[in-house]
Amino acid sequence: MNKTVKKNALFASPYIVWIAAFIIIPLLFIVYYGFTDRAGNFTLENIKAIARPEYYEALALSLILAVISTIICLLLAYPLALILRNMNMSKQGFIVFIFILPMWMNFLLRTYAWQAILDINGVLDVFLAKFGITGFNIINTPAAIVLGMVYDYLPFMVLPIYNVLVKIDDNVINAARDLGANFWQTLFKIIIPLSKAGIASGIIMVFVPSLTTFVISDILGGGKLLLIGNIVENKVKADNLNLAAGLSLVLMIFIVINMVFSGNDESDSVKVKGGK
Amino acid sequence: MKSFARRFYLFLIVLFLYMPIFVLIVASFNDSKILGTWKGFTLHWYRDFFENATMMNALRTTLVIALLSATIATVLGTLACMTMAKMKKSTKNIIVGITNIPMLNAEIVTALAFMLLFIGLGVSLSFSTVLIAHVTFCIPYVVLNVLPKVQQMDSNMYEAALDLGATPIQAFFLVTVPEIMPGILSGFLMSFTMSIDDFIITHFTRGSGINTLSTMIYTEVRKGIKPEMYALSTLLFVTVFILLFLVNYGPKSKSTKKHKSLTQLMFKNKYTIAVSVCVVIIVGIFGYQLLKDDKEYIGDVYVYNWGEYIDPEVIELFEEETGYKVHYEEFETNEEMFTIVDKKARVYDVICPSDYMIEKMLENDLLTEINFDNIPNLEHIGKQYLESAKGFDPENKYCVPYCWGTVGICYNKNMVNEEVNSWSILFDEKYDGKILMQASVRDAYCVALSYLGYSINTLNEDELKEATDLLVSQKPIVQAYVVDQVRDKMIKNAAALAVIYSGEAIYMQEENDALEYVVPDEGSNVWIDGWVIPKDCQNKEAAEAWINFLCRPDIALMNFEYITYSTPNESARALIEDEDIKNSQIAFPDNSVLSRCEVYNYLGTEGDNLYDYYWTIVGGAESD
Repeated sequence: MNKTVKKNALFASPYIVWIAAFIIIPLLFIVYYGFTDRAGNFTLENIKAIARPEYYEALALSLILAVISTIICLLLAYPLALILRNMNMSKQGFIVFIFILPMWMNFLLRTYAWQAILDINGVLDVFLAKFGITGFNIINTPAAIVLGMVYDYLPFMVLPIYNVLVKIDDNVINAARDLGANFWQTLFKIIIPLSKAGIASGIIMVFVPSLTTFVISDILGGGKLLLIGNIVENKVKADNLNLAAGLSLVLMIFIVINMVFSGNDESDSVKVKGGK
Repeated sequence: MKSFARRFYLFLIVLFLYMPIFVLIVASFNDSKILGTWKGFTLHWYRDFFENATMMNALRTTLVIALLSATIATVLGTLACMTMAKMKKSTKNIIVGITNIPMLNAEIVTALAFMLLFIGLGVSLSFSTVLIAHVTFCIPYVVLNVLPKVQQMDSNMYEAALDLGATPIQAFFLVTVPEIMPGILSGFLMSFTMSIDDFIITHFTRGSGINTLSTMIYTEVRKGIKPEMYALSTLLFVTVFILLFLVNYGPKSKSTKKHKSLTQLMFKNKYTIAVSVCVVIIVGIFGYQLLKDDKEYIGDVYVYNWGEYIDPEVIELFEEETGYKVHYEEFETNEEMFTIVDKKARVYDVICPSDYMIEKMLENDLLTEINFDNIPNLEHIGKQYLESAKGFDPENKYCVPYCWGTVGICYNKNMVNEEVNSWSILFDEKYDGKILMQASVRDAYCVALSYLGYSINTLNEDELKEATDLLVSQKPIVQAYVVDQVRDKMIKNAAALAVIYSGEAIYMQEENDALEYVVPDEGSNVWIDGWVIPKDCQNKEAAEAWINFLCRPDIALMNFEYITYSTPNESARALIEDEDIKNSQIAFPDNSVLSRCEVYNYLGTEGDNLYDYYWTIVGGAESD
């Protein structure tokens, strides 16, 4: 038995080398660049830069928009996942069908299409004008960016929640009903607690990309609203890689928080599985 | 009733998800180049797409990268999962935690990390760097799907196979693999999809000559996406739609449940279908490429130019006449191009930066002298332009002017009922929400500094502060800061006033005759873009042949008619048939206009940082 384990370790070794070389080491490079200046001398300037109002305001705006879009995604996705669970569609195929398919239309093109829909004299404008509604222009506002984020990241909320929901045994729900719980009681006391793991990973999968996107704010925000992602990207474009790395390090604090979160979530989901 | 509400909700979500896709599909049949404006039904974008070699190439690269990275990630990930399932829980959690970093981390941070890694190690970005990055961010999806399957699997089955005399390899392929196949398959599919859809990471790690659909679209977004792209995306989408539909709803064996072997068969079928379609597509594209590549071939030339800054036919003619294969790439800002060339991230043979950037590149010793013996067509370039070029290339040794123009205001006569001759109109609250500004530092400051009567190259902090305050106060009335979307927005009547380059104005007037262009009385910027050859160029002769070709009058004329930016080629100007354009004040302004315009100078690293510092303040200011 011990031999097989060793032999198996051989299988994993290319993998270990790979993740060390291409996950750990690149992150060390970020740390190195973040703590040095152009000449390679140690400095804290790149980290301290976040204290500049333009930067922390961008970070604050990014946080606010990311929180809002995560909440909206959750509110839209949960009922949806419940509906899908109860429909007993032919397994995961349908879900993949609906939510993975749009990804085959390029992400940039889809976001660009939203610009065309929301633009002044755009598709929606022209359509609404037929009903005498004018002045519904959210392009170049935070609302447009939130819409873009919700649109792009909704699947990442739906899929994990759905995956957890389908694993809940029907008998558990039926038992609650038999014991006199109404729909809402069952939902809040049984279903939601059992799907916590899915909700947690959904939140992580939506929050981080929303926090750090620069493409959505670029296309739907009209360049008027700078998010922290835009600032990092601008620094790369302006040939200031050290500052870009410094700001990335600040961003990574949030990612570390998320990692802690997901660590818990993982053991949770294992427990759910184990209990079954 | 309740079930109706459910279905309605589902319908709304599906509508939300598919609305933009619907818009894009419609656009692929739309005669207008502008997204969201219907002009009539056409199929010619589909025909054009098959003839567009660059797009075919990008499609091929995208599919090859996706296929390779998904395959490598699946193999690596699956093997690792086999071992991980048997590891101690703590060790396993550490490895899974590390694996998940690319999935949980911000994409831009991952992308930057890769870029710094490669640049730091002095590795030129190439196809392999993209592949490495893609494999790395695909692995978590494989592990996510495969690991639970491996953990669920009864390890006794594998042991039983061994006991019954199977070799470990047989046991692995005949017992283990079929058992975990659903996980492997969905891991592979997710990886494939993620790789195809990725933009940010590819953008930061791609080498010269390598474009995926995403990076190609990104450069095009700025100038208006070519409708062929909608056609291609529609085809791709429809193919996958049919494929997934067949897999999910196609003829199934009747007893799907319980009969494990049958389900496995189905999965195998899915697998076969998916793989065979991929193979067919890729073979098709390669085959197409082979058919196309019957031209004489003597070498490669890597060209780095502004977006939409050449007539694509010119590239084809050059390839036909000289036998060089052109690898043509586009950049969006001078600064972006500088980072790439300075860090040697990608290597190009010939580049077309602007005046002040040429100065900067010279100061950083990035350029090599051009051998003018190889460029006899230089005689067609007007002397006054070479004279102006001395502002940044004092001895005319490094640069051949390509295009030039002014920065000014484009306005819509139907929306602006007054005479426009001053920058002040861009600060007039009357036009709240109808003003488009340029998103680049120098052009934004050109407006403010010229309006205030200062030099557009000032390094005086008080003047810069004043200009910054002005731009901050203007921000609430600005509709958007854009680079090249100006064109579409002005043509669509979505804005009344815009800061724009003269070359764009001519094109826009052709599309919408309510548009006018003016260089304000306070003065502005006159710029020259020119071809230069970088020091680390691999094929100098090809680069010079390229420059010489572009200086040929008939070619310069073709280019002028396509991109509508003023040409410094006097012989080409003489060939222009349309008298209105030949004598246009926009394309070829007289000296009274030029005398009030200034060239941008390179400001030095300090100066650049100063402008960047103030520009960030404008960026962070309140917008309403």
